[in-house]
Amino acid sequence: MSATDRPIDALGILMRAAQRGDAAAYTELLKSITPRIRRVVLRERAFAGLAAVDDLVQDVLLSVHAVRATYDSARPFEPWLLAIVRNRLADGARRYARTGAREISWDHTDDVTFAASETNEETAELGDARALRAAVRALPDGQREAIELLKLEELSLKEAAAVSGTSVGALKVATHRALHALRRALAMKR
Amino acid sequence: MMTTDRLVQQLAARLEPVEPLRSPGRRTATFMLGATLYVALLTLVIARPGAAGRGADLAILIPQLVALAASLLVVHAAFASVVPGHERPTLVWAALAVVAWVGALAVTSLGTSAARGTVLAAGHELWCVAVILLGGAPLVAVLAAMLRRGAPLHPIRTATLSAVAAGSLANVAACIWAPHQSGPTAFVWHGGAILLLVLACAAGAPLVLTWRAARRAPGEPTRS
Repeated sequence: MSATDRPIDALGILMRAAQRGDAAAYTELLKSITPRIRRVVLRERAFAGLAAVDDLVQDVLLSVHAVRATYDSARPFEPWLLAIVRNRLADGARRYARTGAREISWDHTDDVTFAASETNEETAELGDARALRAAVRALPDGQREAIELLKLEELSLKEAAAVSGTSVGALKVATHRALHALRRALAMKR
Repeated sequence: MMTTDRLVQQLAARLEPVEPLRSPGRRTATFMLGATLYVALLTLVIARPGAAGRGADLAILIPQLVALAASLLVVHAAFASVVPGHERPTLVWAALAVVAWVGALAVTSLGTSAARGTVLAAGHELWCVAVILLGGAPLVAVLAAMLRRGAPLHPIRTATLSAVAAGSLANVAACIWAPHQSGPTAFVWHGGAILLLVLACAAGAPLVLTWRAARRAPGEPTRS
């Protein structure tokens, strides 16, 4: 029997084990429910692109993780999971309606440039990599983590928030402060 | 972009044991026990002379018992609303209880008459409003802390239920605390105070009952 064909009650048993801290059972559970979630998302958001579907699936998985304590092993697993999926889909649709209404599609990026002259120089000098590394190392923990996740590992804000366990807002603030501190530190070296 | 497989690995790597949330029924019992003691204490602290006699008067006692029963069902619905897949029947019972309570209050109010000017100029009822708002606030705070352990599926609905429950409990203390000038006066002022509490809670709900807060609940590991 493949993971995705696993009966629903077996998923409840896996979730109970996950509540006790069994990481293997949890991995098995998340791998089993991911295709189910994807099917629901695809059915409800047939118009969405693959990236948007993945985004919603990951959002549901993060939500399942966050509220795993609310699962009651005496009750069936599927209604619990579907209630979360439906809620996250509704939230996603509201978010899309809010941001989509204000977005303007813009495909002509060839002639786009920036106001600051240094961003338009094709022969800009590379900075001192060692100084930059040292400056990053000198940052406070939270700021360094934000820079590493967002600028070095190139994660999205949402992904970095999931990894670091902080909010998107806190990450934005930490990144802003870190960039400010780096700019100051590098300017002092010149 | 992070792949779903990678996210699964990370979530499993960050897994920590969690204490399963107790059932909404058990959480309701715990809260109501504490809340009833709190309301009794509040009534004793603020009671005016003759409060004991008013508390024994069936015309006053019965609506308060209905209010307590309604708050019990509403609190249960609030706790059920943060458990995925658990809320529908409890919501119906809560709605029926609130309708019964408001209906009972309306019927008793209709029994007595009061001119519109008298109702709105009843300054003494401002104290009742204060008792309901200030007395209900700690109950709302306790409920919010308990509800934040659940899933914020419908923040505004959950907050509204909490406010109705806290308001009806504090209303019990306000009704026993001092005699009302007339049924319509109490209905308008007490109802207005509870409505104010509901509006404040509904406005604050999207800030308190959020998925972000759930993801940062105590016990969630953070990378530092």
